[in-house]
Amino acid sequence: MPPGSPEQDAATRIGGYFGRTLVVDASDGSARAISLPETVLRAYVGGAGLGAWLLHHLAPAGADPLEPGSPLAFVFSPLVGTPLTTSAKFAVVAKSPLTGMLTDALASSQFAIAGKLTGHDAIVITGRARDLSVLLVDGDGARLTDAGHLAGRTAAQAEEQLRADLGRGWRIAAIGPAGERGVRYATISHDGRHAGRGGLGAVLGAKNIKAVAVHAGAGKVPAADPQAVLAAARDLRARSFGPATAKYRELGTLANLLAFNAISALPTRNFQAASFEGAEHLAEHEHGQEEPSAGIEGIGGAGGSSPRNVLRRVARSGCASCTIGCEHIYRVGGGRKTRVEYENVFALGPMCGVSDPAGVLAASAVCDDLGIDTISAGGTIAWAMECAQRGLIDAPWLRFGDPGALLRALTEIGERRTPLGILLGNGSKAASQAVGGGSAAFALHVKGLEMPGYEPRTLHAMALGLAVNARGADHNRSGAYEADLSGDLDRLAGGDAHVAAAIETEDRAAVMDSMILCKFLRGVFEEPWPEWAALLAAVTGWDVTGAELREAARRIVLAKRAFNAREGWQPADDWLPDRLLTEPLTLPSGREARLTAARLRSMIAAYYKARGLDELGYPGPASDPDPHLPAPQRLCGRGQAQRPGRDPRGPLVDTPGRAGGYWAYGHYCPGKRGDGNAHHR
Amino acid sequence: MVLAGGKSSRMGTPKAALEWHGATLLHRTVAIAARATSGPVVVVRAPGQDLPAPLPAGVLVVDDPQEGKGPVQGIAAGLAALAGRAEAAFIASTDLPFLHPAFIRSVLHGLSAPGTCAPDVCLPVARGYPQPLAAAYRVSLAQTAERLVKEARLRPAFLFAECLVNRLDDAALRADPVLAALDPHLDSLVNVNEPADYAAARARPAPEVTVQMFGTLARAAAGAAGRGPRAVRAATVGEAAAAVGLPLDRHVAAALNGDQITRDALTPLAAGDTVFFMSADAGG
Repeated sequence: MPPGSPEQDAATRIGGYFGRTLVVDASDGSARAISLPETVLRAYVGGAGLGAWLLHHLAPAGADPLEPGSPLAFVFSPLVGTPLTTSAKFAVVAKSPLTGMLTDALASSQFAIAGKLTGHDAIVITGRARDLSVLLVDGDGARLTDAGHLAGRTAAQAEEQLRADLGRGWRIAAIGPAGERGVRYATISHDGRHAGRGGLGAVLGAKNIKAVAVHAGAGKVPAADPQAVLAAARDLRARSFGPATAKYRELGTLANLLAFNAISALPTRNFQAASFEGAEHLAEHEHGQEEPSAGIEGIGGAGGSSPRNVLRRVARSGCASCTIGCEHIYRVGGGRKTRVEYENVFALGPMCGVSDPAGVLAASAVCDDLGIDTISAGGTIAWAMECAQRGLIDAPWLRFGDPGALLRALTEIGERRTPLGILLGNGSKAASQAVGGGSAAFALHVKGLEMPGYEPRTLHAMALGLAVNARGADHNRSGAYEADLSGDLDRLAGGDAHVAAAIETEDRAAVMDSMILCKFLRGVFEEPWPEWAALLAAVTGWDVTGAELREAARRIVLAKRAFNAREGWQPADDWLPDRLLTEPLTLPSGREARLTAARLRSMIAAYYKARGLDELGYPGPASDPDPHLPAPQRLCGRGQAQRPGRDPRGPLVDTPGRAGGYWAYGHYCPGKRGDGNAHHR
Repeated sequence: MVLAGGKSSRMGTPKAALEWHGATLLHRTVAIAARATSGPVVVVRAPGQDLPAPLPAGVLVVDDPQEGKGPVQGIAAGLAALAGRAEAAFIASTDLPFLHPAFIRSVLHGLSAPGTCAPDVCLPVARGYPQPLAAAYRVSLAQTAERLVKEARLRPAFLFAECLVNRLDDAALRADPVLAALDPHLDSLVNVNEPADYAAARARPAPEVTVQMFGTLARAAAGAAGRGPRAVRAATVGEAAAAVGLPLDRHVAAALNGDQITRDALTPLAAGDTVFFMSADAGG
């Protein structure tokens, strides 16, 4: 169903949606509203799902993500604005400059509510402004204003300035200097929370947009059954104070650090190990130490922690409409207060071999200021540290374990002036291709997205999830680690159960990211599918069931994969770095943790089969054609650029009788994928 | 592989069903075998024998072809079931209440002992006797064992006479430093044949294990001892949780020695184990 169809009226009658998207051309500030048919809203729900649908329709096939014509979408959801806890979230969706594939990232708080109440379910930006600008969207439409005075400012500074400039009620999402300068893992930030992965900040920066400011208009979008929504909100609120969220509430995700270290799931020194001898230094907050009345500033030594050099929790807060309150603010001594999560401590700590709490906290703060994804930053710097150690790049100062080197590397990335800073600002995959000399072996990424803090060799369900996910190596779109850590299967012996778990968690993530509910709430649902369907039904008035939501999840996952296929995804992209398949680990028990290529290949094949994909992972004849997506001829025409080189997976499968071509939405597209088939044989 | 088809004549009740710290002796033996090895666990029972529930998930149960043919028939049936799934198996009787994972690993390692032609059997000869039901066998012996049953040569010694056997005495077993540390008296070989044996075994204190807690669990159960590590006596994960005042619900997972993760309270522990308790709501 194309945008602008006559179904608009139907869409506006349902609860939770306005039934339209605003498309702004930053080149001239013009804007147009396009309708969103009810069938599309019901099929893709909102958030990440609706974003995937929008990208299919609005992104020119094969376009560079940083070209003016490539769209970037802020997408809201049917639950935004309701009293349901954790529902104040929005998705940002675009083709990633880091991976060349679809990326969607979520952030939270008042921007989501005000953005939706501009009267749109999504705001899409295309084009490129002549000068650095702010995009303003409210009930009267869109317009651009000059942002010259914000150039080089951090996202937080820009947000503060714009609040002062614009006045009450405006909510702002902004990029930092890294986004302006095209760092390919730059973030978009609102109220200190980042739509973090995949370089969406670089896409916005390429449009010369420093910030997007939204203000609620006069329009309302009531729920279909307000009383039912209110009752559900009360129930969820009560459940959100229970044990399923205790970890997030009491300690935050940083509580993972010591646990992962104990089970050899904490990637260390660029995945050369899975436990970190300095983990205790970074987790002394778990010992319950109080904040001192006075402290020291600055960075400690390369290791160890004095009584003053300890991460201390000093505050806790939460997003708008959230009763969990997972944000834990830390500082070292009298230093700067910084939000800390497991992932930034992992990426800037163990991954880079840094055990100095002050150094890790300072590095996190620098990432916040620059507006860059901490995982990709840490992963790329860890790659550089290993390359420097091996003499592959000329930066002898860049040593594992040195917090000073970490901070210097981050600064060079943000400034993007030195050759090293420019190199590392492109991410580990592109950097390793530029450096050559075998350095790609030390680039730990999937599809160009640096690995999160989950060791695939000791988490086999997660290994599959990381390999096949559309966004790349990502722990938020595949929560398969839940199965590995559940005790319900052997995390070191991936098989059919792991495949099923990976699919289930991927589906759950697809729906939670589309409705949108925070995943930290996931543990409170006893029967998530029918419970989520009931929430959606109360808001929209649809007679939606759990089974229908499952089908929507599958559709969303496949839509992302189909978009990637259109943009040049190759079967070899669904794979893990060689290090993880050739270097086994030894657990403290003495047991060897090994993930073989054969095991991974087998799990991927089972995943493809269960998803209805063809043997190579393309949407195939077993995938139901999706009538909501564009006609196949548009998919076959462009974006099939082939990557030279060996398929690291080896001879996965053969496809006898197929000279080339692939299935897209029920149509066979001959001859467009020939090289891809050929180099798999 | 666990042979559960014995008659338990002297015990007077099926030994497989004897209570052991909230589960059964068979459950413990099977779960310990699962902990020590990477392959499947096979239970061989008498034809139609009722096995006590519960058994750990994933256990493969096979029947002896005939009743009363003794251990060689059980060995043959179990090894045949493992064909294509494993190269070697540790075979235990069900009545070894102190069987330690380190013992199983050490005996299995004896099949690849350096300086010998690859043995077919690694046979402990310890605590005064050969221990054919606490030994390691190559799966390829299945056919030989089947033939011996047909020939009514039903004692394990007939099997040993037809293959290469690596015999390990007490000293050789204790030469493994891990086993020497965790099972210095080779209690893995203590079996229970009579009610008095069982009563004596049951009266022993539970093994000493170390407990450590992470995250919110450390806070919830901290008390004076904090998150650990703490030494406690516990024969199962559930007992270890109880020892530190931790409710073992769906929000709690336990990692044994940083390896196997479980939420099953009946998972058996052995001396020297470390149990990490952590939030099952991991990640994020």
